[in-house]
Formats: sequence, C-alpha cells, structure tokens
Amino acid sequence: MSVPPPIDVRGLRKVFWQTTTGQAVIAIDQLDLTIAPREVLAIVGQTGCGKSTFFDLMIGLEAPTEGSIRIGDKYPHADFDHFRGKIATVFQQDRLLPWRSALDNAKLPLELIGMDEDEQRKRALTWLKRLGLGQFTNAYPHELSGGMRQRVAIARAFVVQPDILLADEAFGHLDEVTAAELRETFLALARECGSTAILITHQLEEAISVGDRIVVFGKSAKLLADIHVAQWPKSKYALLREAIQFTLQNNRLDPRLKRIGAKAKRKKKR
Amino acid sequence: MPHDEIREPVRVLTFPRQTFVSLLVFCVFWEVLSHLAPVLGIPPFAIPSLVRIAKSIATITPIDIVVTLARVIGALIASFVLGLAMAMAMYRSDRLEKYLHPIVRLFMAVPVVSWILFAVLWFPGVEFRIGFVLVVVCGPVFMVDTLDAMRSVPRELRHMMQSFRPTGLQFFIKLMLPAIVPTIFTSWKVNISLAIRVVTIAELVGAVTGIGHQLSVAQELFSVADVFAWTIVLVALLFMLEAIVARVEHRLLRWRA
Repeated sequence: MSVPPPIDVRGLRKVFWQTTTGQAVIAIDQLDLTIAPREVLAIVGQTGCGKSTFFDLMIGLEAPTEGSIRIGDKYPHADFDHFRGKIATVFQQDRLLPWRSALDNAKLPLELIGMDEDEQRKRALTWLKRLGLGQFTNAYPHELSGGMRQRVAIARAFVVQPDILLADEAFGHLDEVTAAELRETFLALARECGSTAILITHQLEEAISVGDRIVVFGKSAKLLADIHVAQWPKSKYALLREAIQFTLQNNRLDPRLKRIGAKAKRKKKR
Repeated sequence: MPHDEIREPVRVLTFPRQTFVSLLVFCVFWEVLSHLAPVLGIPPFAIPSLVRIAKSIATITPIDIVVTLARVIGALIASFVLGLAMAMAMYRSDRLEKYLHPIVRLFMAVPVVSWILFAVLWFPGVEFRIGFVLVVVCGPVFMVDTLDAMRSVPRELRHMMQSFRPTGLQFFIKLMLPAIVPTIFTSWKVNISLAIRVVTIAELVGAVTGIGHQLSVAQELFSVADVFAWTIVLVALLFMLEAIVARVEHRLLRWRA
C-alpha cells in the first residue's frame, strides 16, 4: 500500500464573476491548509462558505485564481491527467449513470484508466460485495434504495483504491441510521485503503465522529478553527460541538477551542 | 429495495380491439359510400370499393417499394451522421454554434417544395436530388434534437464524470452518447414520418421510380384505387419502420423505469 502524497494549500483564492452583473464573488480568500497523508479531514462550514468551491479546486475541475493546491509535487488542475485513478469522489446525490447496472457503475473509473475488462469486473464485484451489494450487481439504479445507491457510489470511489478520497455531503441526504452505518463503512474502508479522506459536511456530529481533524470554514473559506479531534477526550465532545457551533454562528473562533486545544497540546508534550 | 413485482413486458406492436373496431367501422362506411356514390352524384371512380383497392394492391410493384425504402433509410442514416457530427462540434464550440445556428434555422424555415425545386434546378442526377432534399430536411432536425439533448445532460452527471478525469472521447462515449440515446430515438421517429412524406413529394416531382412516381402515374390515369393502394403501402411502410425503431428503442432503453 503506497503512502498518498501530502496536500499543501497555500494562499488559495478563488474569485467568480457573476454573469449578469459582472461583480466579483470571492469564494475562497487566502486559504492555507496542510493535510497529512492518510489523514481523515472533515471540513465544516455554513452554506455558501466556499466548501464546494474548495471541493472543485481539490478535484481539479476549477483553477485557483491565486495561490495553489499541491498534492505531492503536482497540481490537480494543471496536472489533470496525472491524477486519473488517484483522486475519487463521492457526492451528496449518488450520481449513478441510470443506464448502467450497479456493477457497470462501480467499474466506471476502472474503464477510464483502461484496466483489463476481467480485472475491472473482478474488482468491482469485490467492492460491491464488501458494501453488501453482492445480490444486486445487475440491478439498475432505479431498482435500488437511496442507501444502496450511495453504497454503489462508494464502491465506485474505492474501486480504484485512490490516494485521495473526497466526499461532498455524501451522507447528508440519508436517514440517520443509514447515514451512520455508511459513514462507519466509509471510514473503515478509507483507513484500510490508506487513502487521505476529505469529507465536506455541514453536520457537526458527522465531522466529530469521522474526522481525525476538523477544519471550520467561515465566509470565503476563512479558516476559523483547526481541531485535532484526538486531542479531545470523548467526554468533552458535547463541548466541542457547542464550541464549533459558536464558531460557525459568530464567524470567529470560540475561545474554548483555543483553550482546550492548547491544554491538550501541553498534556501531549509532557 | 428492488422492485419485486414482475413487470409486464412492454408491447412494441400492439393492435388493441378498439383500433380493430374503428378500422372495421371505417371500412364498412367506405364500402357503403362507394356503393352509394352514384346516388349521391359522386363519380364512381372517386370512391373505389375495397375490392377494387385490394386488386390495385395486388398489382403493386415491389421494386418501387424497395427503391423508396432504400432512399428513406439511406438518407436518414446520412442525415443522422451529419446531424450528430454537427451537434457534437457545436456542443464543443460556442463560437461555431453562433455561426452555424442561424444557417440551420434558415434551412429549417425553407419549405420542402422549395428544396425540391432547388434540387431539380441544381443537380442533374435523380438519386442525388432526392438524397439532397431528404438530408437537407431531416439533417437539421437530428442536429437540433441532438444538441438540445447534449445540453440537457444533468450538470451533476457531467461533474461526476469529469471528476474521474476521462479523456474527451471517453466523456462522449461513456456519458454523452448513452445520455442522449432516448432523444435520438424520438428524433428518429419524427424523422421517419417526415422522410416518408418528403420522399413521396420528391419522387412525385423528379423521379421515374419509387412510390411517389407511382402515385404520379396513378393520378395521371385517374386511378383513385391505385392512389389508395400506394397510400396504404406508404402508411404500412411508415408503421413498419416506426415499429422497428420502437423495438430497438425498447431493447436499448430497458434500463428505464
């Protein structure tokens, strides 16, 4: 299992111009962020804070206006083809191709990297079985429930065993039981594959339960807080949730996050 | 959960009782009318009896049917290839679309009869004339439909596909083409009906073979029974082609709920 390259975001800025008014909208302003290999990072923020723009920049579909995102020594937009089969995505909606069966949907990324047909089939079947869809490999998306479709989408992401996994509100539309179950599966698989996982979410529970680290975005993706979850004892999770909530609502760091973070750091040093 | 209920197979060629009854009533009405024509002051040849029409059908020359069918199918395939290629080029280049779109709109606004007259004046070869008229009428329909369908592919699916970094060709083959297949079938159905009507007029004016030509001969001979016979053949041809397309459509689009 190869170690995924580190991600280094420096001075990232993304500006959009509104088609009708021609006005500039700053989606991301001077973002600095480093993500270690195999880290599970949860990004939380309110609607319109630039999370999805960051997602598009990470997968290379958008070019930064200023600054850079470097993955190892490559750039996801400039070196677009280099990352074929190395970055995989799970979206809020499953985004399965309706004319393809579950199996054919799961093997789509393998087709794109030109893998041998038998190997594609074998790998896709393995992942579908691991996600509990062994009985439904030939089913079309409309024949599957929402949870099952999202499982196929997860299989589609993992099938290439990517270096980097990006999930944009991937469990947000599911009922709580299914979401919790899928979240757990996703996390276990990401750890097993040794991928760096970046989860974009607006659900604090999800961020706390999944992330090794939580970054809180304010408006224009301003980095309000960078929290290492492991430094927080489980008994303080309620306080953590409250402090993140405060940070999000007031668009400034909650002092409790600073205090407890510093205390934890000191404790660790000792 | 997957649907457990057994779906009834979709029938491509249906002939419900109501259709049969309405056709039967129409035939009876026609037959009665043909017998009453002299009493009503209508010349007897204007409303031939069903037996007379059946006799005309029996004398139909299959070669004319084959020729017309070949012209229609050949022109439809050429129109489709041309329309698809143009739609793809216009999808990729907004600038090209801005230049081509007005021309296409202009072509679509020109009446079929004008195209036939232009073809007669411009080209000496009969087959080329007919092919030209059919392509110039059906090609833009294929192009406009295909381009619209390409534009309607959901942004979410395009975004998902791009996130897996396909090549341009993979993007088209794996996403765009399958996504536009339902529209392509609709476009084929519309164009078959259009092509059958256009080919008949084109053959009527400038050909010495084909169903249109035979209709022209029947008109010159004042044989209403022959006109009816060839018209029935044309309608049957249209239904047959539509049924074939529907069958292929049903097979290829079985993924639809």
